[in-house]
Amino acid sequence: MAQSLVMGSYDQARALVGRMTAVSVSSGPVNEAMIKYFASAAEDSNPSYWDEEFADAQWGSIISPPSMLVHWVVPPPWSPGEPSGGHLAPQILMTQVPLPGDTIINVSVDYTYHRPVRIGDRLKMVEEFVDVSAEKTTQLGTGHFVTTSATYYTQDDDIVATQTNVLFRFSVGDRNA
Amino acid sequence: MPETPRDLTWTDVNKGDIVPRVSLDITVRRLIVNAGAGWDVFPGHYDRDYARAHGHEDIFANTSLFLSFADRVVTDWAGPRTRIARRALRMSGSVYPGDTLHAEGIVTGRRQDGGVYLVDLEINLGTDRGPCAQAVATVELTH
Repeated sequence: MAQSLVMGSYDQARALVGRMTAVSVSSGPVNEAMIKYFASAAEDSNPSYWDEEFADAQWGSIISPPSMLVHWVVPPPWSPGEPSGGHLAPQILMTQVPLPGDTIINVSVDYTYHRPVRIGDRLKMVEEFVDVSAEKTTQLGTGHFVTTSATYYTQDDDIVATQTNVLFRFSVGDRNA
Repeated sequence: MPETPRDLTWTDVNKGDIVPRVSLDITVRRLIVNAGAGWDVFPGHYDRDYARAHGHEDIFANTSLFLSFADRVVTDWAGPRTRIARRALRMSGSVYPGDTLHAEGIVTGRRQDGGVYLVDLEINLGTDRGPCAQAVATVELTH
């Protein structure tokens, strides 16, 4: 997991609160093939994702499922120049805060969507590290809650959505203790 | 293509209306298709050994499956002209292969905001083992 989560201390994390990321840019335009594959996972038959005639009339084109937004700006699992095997966690801010926990589980996410994302849009995202909690112990283990926010834009700098996310970064305790 | 479903309009909807239950069988195949669809490489979603070493029974659904399923439950009910304006979801349990994920909802309010017709919803997600997430959503409907 070396290349998946950034390891460090709570004090190191604390010092980064308020930091903004560089802009993450999608690896390619929003496209129908990825939309259909994604919609198939929840067996969502909404014609906004499948039926060009319906979607053109309603939205101007087939649209991205709202829940797919972050996936347009996550980098591919491997890119030229990276070590073989690639990274093992989505390379977005919530996994890149230096903390001791060796694993993650997401807790909550809150999206406000300002406009539909259409075929051909090239999305960009900027994230902010909002907060990190003191050490907490839950049923899963001991660690820290990491709050991040993100703003998504089109190529024309139209705001598409804003998001706040809370993730638990932790290590499993000794379950036999 | 199947016939496009009819949409509910804002005037059709009232506080207390039920968003009917939808169910989805969770399999290893679905979790892996879903993780791949979002380029989500975190091993908890496809590697059983990793998941079990980190406090889980098995590989578990990622956040996007909770979100996309909650949205599907809403648009299956209100129709494909529904626009999701806001959705906040909090997870309280994991979803594993062998589970049946289900969700249903209730209308908690109806309002206009600058010529936009909005409906507020609460959506509850669960498996046979109990609740796993709760969402609140605001959707824009045609009038």
